[in-house]
Amino acid sequence: MDVNIINPVLAAFKDVLSQIGFQTIEKRGLALTGSTFPYQGILLNIAVVGPVKGVILIGIDEKNAEKCASKMMMGMPVDELNDLAKSALSELCNMICANACTQFSQANIKGLDISPPTILTSKDPAQAMVPVPETVVVDFGCDDGIEIKLFIGLS
Amino acid sequence: MAAKIMIVDDSPFSRTLLGDMLREIGYEVVGEADCLEAALATYREKKPDIVTMDIAMPHDDGFEISKCLLHDDPNAKIILSSSIKDDDTVLEAKRLGICGYVQKPVDPKALQHVIEKVLAPDNLYADLSAKCIDILKEALSQDFTRMTKKPLKFENNFVMNTSYASRGITAVVGIIGQYSGTIIVDMPRDTAHKLTELILRHPPQGSRQTLEMVSEFTNIIAGMTCSMLNKTETSFGFKVAPPSIFEGDFVELVSPGIQMQHCVASSEYGQILVSIGFKRGATLWM
Repeated sequence: MDVNIINPVLAAFKDVLSQIGFQTIEKRGLALTGSTFPYQGILLNIAVVGPVKGVILIGIDEKNAEKCASKMMMGMPVDELNDLAKSALSELCNMICANACTQFSQANIKGLDISPPTILTSKDPAQAMVPVPETVVVDFGCDDGIEIKLFIGLS
Repeated sequence: MAAKIMIVDDSPFSRTLLGDMLREIGYEVVGEADCLEAALATYREKKPDIVTMDIAMPHDDGFEISKCLLHDDPNAKIILSSSIKDDDTVLEAKRLGICGYVQKPVDPKALQHVIEKVLAPDNLYADLSAKCIDILKEALSQDFTRMTKKPLKFENNFVMNTSYASRGITAVVGIIGQYSGTIIVDMPRDTAHKLTELILRHPPQGSRQTLEMVSEFTNIIAGMTCSMLNKTETSFGFKVAPPSIFEGDFVELVSPGIQMQHCVASSEYGQILVSIGFKRGATLWM
């Protein structure tokens, strides 16, 4: 996989998070892994179809997901990840992936489309397998100690 | 009764031009606005059937105003009227849930056509919702029987929009086309293991091989389902993304904003839950 393929997604992630009021969006690590990887907490899955295909996943633990959903809902307190909070997270994932399609389009990779998000929640360690041989995992540190992982499996 | 229209545009000239055109066609122009605050106040007061929305405006652009109107009323029907029309505009409009688009300078016939289509009940979506779960069951049944030579027994279909527990292994397939959607196939590990053994004719070598079988099995079913749906209506133009697979003991799933239809299929190898749903709101571009 050409790792440059992740740049529009990273740009979209930073762009959308700053739009919703995040001040700190710091890339803390980048690793290449295979098609399977562990996760725990929340995993948002969006499929990408077009000249670039695959999947973009956003991983975040429950406490950080609550903080993130609260940011999405203009600071409304979020004490549990109910369906409203999950809907806010899904909208965040949607915004990042749609923005990524725009960034790809600006880089002359046009005609990408995305599926609606599916959210998976697991309190215990669980496993994901994406439909591409390699996944780039990017760790971000954001406001209020919120840690977010981006799993980018595109080819 | 004439449909009530509200115009959002910062140019008084454009508002007059569009207003006269709408009245000539026979619509009632109930309000005009040139910024976000005026748009929200007018919308709340007049409750229009349709909002026409310019994109480029000095403070908040048409997308920002549309987002606020849709936040206020998720059923707001917004038609963009702008000279800008490119892939990025189309994508952003679709993502926000804007119903249609007319290019400036606006042609009265194109405008009337888009308004009529936006106001008409979405029969195509209703038709898709009515048949998609039965077509998914048909695809599952055909593929399962071909692979195992055994029948499947289906329980009643049901609708559930809240989170539900996975049985062990879940495959999620994204669908792109006239409507975007999701197909989910979920089964216990034991069922997946038995099916893999049956297909391979030997026990799977590790859990990865079982996950790969679920991926391939789901890919075939999703592909067949979309192909069968496309045969019923070519304008659907559905394409599937390859599945993502998730495995865990206490995994919950939810597809926000989509009315997912589910059905449980029983076989001698165990139960398989299949689910399908599409996002409402195709965009009309003129």
